[in-house]
Amino acid sequence: MTAAAPAGTGTIDTDVHCAPASLADLTPYFEPYWRTYVLEGGVSLSATQGLAYPPQAPTTATPEAREAGLTPARTVGDLRAHVLDPQGLRAALLTCTASFACNRNPYYEAALTRAVNDWMITEWLDADDRLRAGMVVPTLDTEAAVAEIERIGDDPRVVQVLLPTRTDAPWGNKRHRPLLRAAAEHGLVVGLHAWGRVGNAPTSSGLTHTYLEDYLANSQTIVQAQVASLVTEGVFAELPDLRVTLLESGFSWLPTLLWRFDKDWKGVWREVPWLDSKPSDVVRGHIRLTTNPAHLPRQATQVRQALDLLDAKAMLLYSSDHPHDHGTGHDRLVAALTPDERDAIFAGNAAEWYRLG
Amino acid sequence: MRIVVSRLEDFPPGERRIVQAGRRSIGVFRVGDNFYALNNYCPHQGGPLCLGTTQPWVTSARPGEFVLDEQEALVACPWHGWEYDLATGQSFLGPGEPPARTYDVKVEVASGEGEPKGGRIPGPYVAETYPVHVEDAYVVVETTSGSRRRETPGGEG
Repeated sequence: MTAAAPAGTGTIDTDVHCAPASLADLTPYFEPYWRTYVLEGGVSLSATQGLAYPPQAPTTATPEAREAGLTPARTVGDLRAHVLDPQGLRAALLTCTASFACNRNPYYEAALTRAVNDWMITEWLDADDRLRAGMVVPTLDTEAAVAEIERIGDDPRVVQVLLPTRTDAPWGNKRHRPLLRAAAEHGLVVGLHAWGRVGNAPTSSGLTHTYLEDYLANSQTIVQAQVASLVTEGVFAELPDLRVTLLESGFSWLPTLLWRFDKDWKGVWREVPWLDSKPSDVVRGHIRLTTNPAHLPRQATQVRQALDLLDAKAMLLYSSDHPHDHGTGHDRLVAALTPDERDAIFAGNAAEWYRLG
Repeated sequence: MRIVVSRLEDFPPGERRIVQAGRRSIGVFRVGDNFYALNNYCPHQGGPLCLGTTQPWVTSARPGEFVLDEQEALVACPWHGWEYDLATGQSFLGPGEPPARTYDVKVEVASGEGEPKGGRIPGPYVAETYPVHVEDAYVVVETTSGSRRRETPGGEG
């Protein structure tokens, strides 16, 4: 099984997917108007989550998860039986990206994200105290997103605001600041997770037509632009308590981005004088990355070098990204870690980052 | 070595002079009533540092706020934009980057000694290159002991 935690309890998994099987699962959590909207408009949840996870793509589920019908988990019972109990997890952070591919009706998006959150709280968090959740918020209406954070952000089991990496404007853009401020004020981590609307191009220069480009873009192109945006726009200068996790976005690309980011900042710092330390320091203070997918070389010495360049012990949070199958990169990561690094990456870092106590 | 750069009245604020002292080229900057002198040699790759743009510091308490200092304080090398503090030569490119060599600059009043000789007036410091008018103020660069020397492995020019 890809990305299984090393033997032992206490592991915290920061990216475990779940999703309603269909909008019918969310019906109890929709206000009446939206139940009729869904029916009359023929609105459904995308079976591929907006082409993020094509059902038959080998990346969509490990063979074990596929056999168990977890593509991803639909019920807490299934997750308990196949993930939480067998792996002896101390805690698992639930990721539900079902609303990422929502249509562009901002009022429906607000209703859908509320429904997803209430479904998650009622059917998952209430059912197993090992679970924590990333709440979802509408992306087209900042005020509504703030209101949703105000509504449930103080639930101690809600530890993250989950945002798609594909957006109309990068998350550092000033228009998004109230959302990020609300997250920071509620002590919530902002989790940028791969994917988003189909209509948001996976590249900066336009739309693509292959899953390969989409898949690659999530862990290389888009997320790097988001990191550059958050740092450059001064999000962390304005919100010094804000923590951001990059989920399912890879991590080995970070050192090269930061090397160039620091270098260019030295030359053009005058444009962004609020940036009061070099970008790599800002990132180290405010951003963490989950371990799956792990893009690492095959040779162990090169893996070690990649981890040292990143400062993996400080920067990584273990994630299985269940049920997705990203190949054997994660095994190479685990094999390269020292015992101290394992403790930090598989438990300590996440406990501290998400204030799990 | 003392190098007389210019008569004070011929060196208005905002201007600079490049002076040659042997093999050494030195940039002298006037910012308001302050004078700064730097080796015209960028410690990075030897570019003509003192031909670069000067800028004030800009600070900010929050995104979107820009507070520009009144006086220029930095010079950026025209080759790669590496910036140095005009007053101290301090590099702002990060730890380990060498500073630019700086020199003391003074405004001195000529001593008044020396008599006109055949209509010619002797200069006080490097008189062979500068006519001197008694009682005029001069801008003088000091390149020898007593100047602010820094550890500049790449900066000796």
